[in-house]
Amino acid sequence: MLGDWKVFVFAGIAVYAIVAGLIVWSAVAYRCRDPSIRQSRSTVHENAKLEITWTVIPILIVIGLFIKTYIVEAKVEAVKPHPAQIVDVVGYRWSWRFTYPRNGVVVNGTTASAPTLVLPVNETTRIDLTSSDVIHSFWVPAFLFKRDANPGMINVFDFKPTRIGTYPGSCAEFCGTFHALMDFKVRVVSQADFARWIRSQGGKL
Amino acid sequence: MNAVAISSKQRLVEHGIISWLITTNHKRVGILYMVTSLAFFGVAGFLADVIRLQLVQPDASFVSPNVYNEVFTLHGTAMIFLFIAPFSFGLANYLVPLQIGAADMAFPRLNAYSYWIFLIGGVTIFGGLGVEGGAGNAGWTGYAPLSTIQTAAGTGMDLWILGLILVSLSTTLTAINSLVTILVFRAPGMSMWRIPVFCWDVLVTFLLVLMAFPSLFVALFSLLLERHLGAKLFDAPWGGDPVMYQHLFWFFGHPEVYVMILPAFGMITEIVGVFSRKPIFGYSGLVLSAFGIAGLSMSVWAHHMFTTGAVNDPFFSAMSFAIAVPTGIKFFNWIATMWRGEISLDTPMLFAIGFMLNFLLGGVTGVMVASPPIDFNVEDSYFLVSHFHYVLGGGAMFAIFGALYMWWPKIWGVKLNERLGKLHFWSMMIGFNLVFFPMMLLGVAGMPRRVYTYPNLPGWGTLNFVETIGAAIITVSTAVFIWNIVMSHRTAEAQRPLADDPWGGGQALEWATSSPPPEFNFHALPPIRSKRPAFDLHYPEYAKDSPK
Repeated sequence: MLGDWKVFVFAGIAVYAIVAGLIVWSAVAYRCRDPSIRQSRSTVHENAKLEITWTVIPILIVIGLFIKTYIVEAKVEAVKPHPAQIVDVVGYRWSWRFTYPRNGVVVNGTTASAPTLVLPVNETTRIDLTSSDVIHSFWVPAFLFKRDANPGMINVFDFKPTRIGTYPGSCAEFCGTFHALMDFKVRVVSQADFARWIRSQGGKL
Repeated sequence: MNAVAISSKQRLVEHGIISWLITTNHKRVGILYMVTSLAFFGVAGFLADVIRLQLVQPDASFVSPNVYNEVFTLHGTAMIFLFIAPFSFGLANYLVPLQIGAADMAFPRLNAYSYWIFLIGGVTIFGGLGVEGGAGNAGWTGYAPLSTIQTAAGTGMDLWILGLILVSLSTTLTAINSLVTILVFRAPGMSMWRIPVFCWDVLVTFLLVLMAFPSLFVALFSLLLERHLGAKLFDAPWGGDPVMYQHLFWFFGHPEVYVMILPAFGMITEIVGVFSRKPIFGYSGLVLSAFGIAGLSMSVWAHHMFTTGAVNDPFFSAMSFAIAVPTGIKFFNWIATMWRGEISLDTPMLFAIGFMLNFLLGGVTGVMVASPPIDFNVEDSYFLVSHFHYVLGGGAMFAIFGALYMWWPKIWGVKLNERLGKLHFWSMMIGFNLVFFPMMLLGVAGMPRRVYTYPNLPGWGTLNFVETIGAAIITVSTAVFIWNIVMSHRTAEAQRPLADDPWGGGQALEWATSSPPPEFNFHALPPIRSKRPAFDLHYPEYAKDSPK
């Protein structure tokens, strides 16, 4: 999720700037000006207080990051008991099948022509994801989410898109020769357009 | 007149090519390991160039999809199993007996055996290029069921599996050999709390090998059973579990990351101490953190599997965050060693600083991908490719180059040219970051890894083009390194005889013997009364400052 991402990017840049700054500063500030020197004047080689400090502070940072992660993941993974729509997604070498079981609509993709997953905006759609051959991964970068399609196993998650538009998606788990071409599109439409689309596919509402 | 007549045959056995084939001396075996692993680095680097040429622009068709899949599979397999890890084993082979004051490894013949089956294993993996259907092409991870289904490469895939089994056997035997050597063969006075940090890191590395590699054996043998005897272990319609392969593989695979990086930490620690002209700061912190890293690394494997939907994400996420703490301790100890030192920015030290700056970015992005909600987006994208190349390329590879410059004079009695060394470092630093920083942006923009082509989305072509330029710079930089070796050896006579301690601040015991050392390492051992016996020997006036 974007909030999580921003916290980690910010924390990452801060940590990088401080530690890399210390490294570069030490290298420049303490560079040897007299090559005949064999030992620096300072020969300090332990300091318990300092060592405890640089152990405890990172522990506190990662505890904070873990709490943030835990809260966000619970939200991302939450699955509603009564979704507005259900789509069964099956990955196969090298395309996808989207089945709308309640509406009797099936979208079959081929490697040459990528299929489109149509989703209604502001409604929860449950995705039941599996594979019919090897492991694939169903990735929609715009939704900041992917999940593996494992043969013999159904992975369940919810999508609730909030913005109308068309977004690219692809297979993220290497699956053989034409893995690179195993793309699809996600088209988020208004609820009226969704109903119109279902009817145009010969499905019932 | 002819008091000593040595036949040419005898000379060949003692000094020529045959002497290298039959040697059991730890230094020669170490050199064989390092030279072989660098040759595999050259091959794997060439494969990386093929990858970058293919991806230089959208819809390029330099190689076919199947060849591309073989190329990245071999690139990853070779860099990990045939370059980074065995180079460290080779350096450990060379250095550990010297650093602890031993004459050789505990089991010299086993040592030679380990090297030869490593070489045969590596050649077997590449042998797939010569058979019908091509080499292994399921990625370096060889996930089932992709690697077990009938349409996957035939014999090439089997050769990949068999080659890796040989390499793993070699690694396990080397681990036992090195552990016994460190624990049993230390010189009088060389207590465990005096062995160099490099030896501790090697010791912890090989403990990890003994814990992790059995799982790789199981994974690889299972693939063979599945492919040839219809075991159905990973075959869902028969009740098998495809995710189980990933557990087996990553139970090995994550510790393997630290098998590659812990020796690099050791090399960096030695370099930073010598070139800061200071005792190493936080010896016990450096040692304990290595154990902390190893322990945690055994319990984080499923962070490679957050997106499978089949693991307890929060547990593995917490463990993965925790590993940042001992790694941080190492960084702070290096900085504290440099702090108020007299830092000499010779090539090994430049590579050590480059290592720190690159690895730090690998670590920071590592904490990011340890958070499952972030990983859900960037897993298996170019962000991940960038992350682990900052760890293994910007990290381990930079440490290896630093180590090569640092110990080259000890091994060959020749110092490499500093000007060419600095050119090598700066071009490598620039080239490396040009390749791998844009990958981070591409990953966030949605480019998956292991694709032979990509759509012409805004910015994708440009970023990929920049990466290919970076790859060209790395290639030239590597050529500078080879040129440096040739030139330095051509002018080697002027340097001879090289001092025992050519850097003028050597701390560990290897700097207390000649460069190169005699066959059994020491004509006489100096007294070992502190953590830097060679320094005490050469600069007795400062011996009082040496940590005991």
